[in-house]
Amino acid sequence: MLIHTPEGGVGEIPAVGAASIPVLAGKKIGLLDNRKPNADIVLEHIAERLAARTGTEVVRRDNKNAAIPCEDQVLEGIAKEVEIVLTGTAD
Amino acid sequence: MVDVSVEAGETVLDVYERNGWGDGLPLEAPTPERVDAMLRALAPVNGRPVDPDEVIAVLSPRSGEATRRTIAINAVLAGCRPEHLPVLISAVRALAHPDLNLRGVNATTHPVAPLLIVHGQAAVEGGFNAGLGAFGPGNRANAAVGRALRLILLHVAGARPGPGDASTQGGPAKYGYCVAENLDESPWGGYARSVGVDAPSAITIHCGEAPHNVHDMESEEPARILDKVASAMTSTGQNNAPISQGEYFVALCPEHAAACAADGWTRDDVAAYLFNQARMRVSELKRAFGLRAWAPWMQRLSDDDLVPMTEAAANIKVVVIGGAGKHSSVIPSWGMTRSVTLPVEP
Repeated sequence: MLIHTPEGGVGEIPAVGAASIPVLAGKKIGLLDNRKPNADIVLEHIAERLAARTGTEVVRRDNKNAAIPCEDQVLEGIAKEVEIVLTGTAD
Repeated sequence: MVDVSVEAGETVLDVYERNGWGDGLPLEAPTPERVDAMLRALAPVNGRPVDPDEVIAVLSPRSGEATRRTIAINAVLAGCRPEHLPVLISAVRALAHPDLNLRGVNATTHPVAPLLIVHGQAAVEGGFNAGLGAFGPGNRANAAVGRALRLILLHVAGARPGPGDASTQGGPAKYGYCVAENLDESPWGGYARSVGVDAPSAITIHCGEAPHNVHDMESEEPARILDKVASAMTSTGQNNAPISQGEYFVALCPEHAAACAADGWTRDDVAAYLFNQARMRVSELKRAFGLRAWAPWMQRLSDDDLVPMTEAAANIKVVVIGGAGKHSSVIPSWGMTRSVTLPVEP
């Protein structure tokens, strides 16, 4: 007996990760904290280590809350300020 | 649509399980004949047949394309009848509405599940249960349509526990969560019309927790009943406490609704009373939550003030569901989502 599969096709993926930057020295890094508990701790540690190893400058920006997409205004602002953005979630 | 083969000695469940599909329960075989029969039952629009392969919605996180055919496949799997398909198609449209925030609903660790409420003619014609035991088992429409919506989330949206659904404990409402509004016993008319959807048939999706029971066997006064509803709304364990934009669905049983209406209370009166009564001390909530996604005016309150559990009375949605007896329920929100009500359309 032949039956249908249940998943259907996949549409356009709304966003993909940017290609990584080979050399961090001299770049400015932005931390985008989504305010999920403990996200700030993880991001701060990564940023501290990157800054210590490469001398990069780090700026921090907050998303308003963890559950909804970051506001365009925040994304546009941080995109103008930095070359790399570190973001993530935690709990 | 790619087919898979079910060999002798195998069940559909075996084949689906092997491929990582299904909800763990036995499944109806989605043969091309059954799926086509379901699609043929869809009413034409403006005299023209609807396109079975039109993309109705793209569902997160998989970016899965939900066509009428894909929806029909999942409807067959769940045991739906052809007359249920327009309800499911409309529910999928609601899932993709930006206000509902499906990406967040599927990504959160909270046990949120989309509650599908069917209103009007579609509820009657589809055989949905709006009365005794409406949230429980024993009715094909409620069970199969609720299950089909979850299968669509699992298959099309990719909301499988782990990679697509981060819920810490999951929850029984994630198997199927569908009821009908008891329009016949609602003293205030239909819910859909009260939120501006004036159609013969409509659906609402509210992404929330499983129902919290409210029991009052003895009161005739609205305030005495609704104080118990307010009590069920007032706890620090639910997301509404730190997220003020969250809605509550208050599913009043017909007898509690009738007691309110007999005293002259409207649907809005009920919501306004609950807005005033369901409050907690600011200091208590501050002690419970370091992070509070509250409206700016709520952030300004003093520690001794009482703060409402939601920032506006309009966030308290009153609908009549159930049969004889005196049990109502409160369905708190996940928080970062808004309910969506749409007309039923193929």
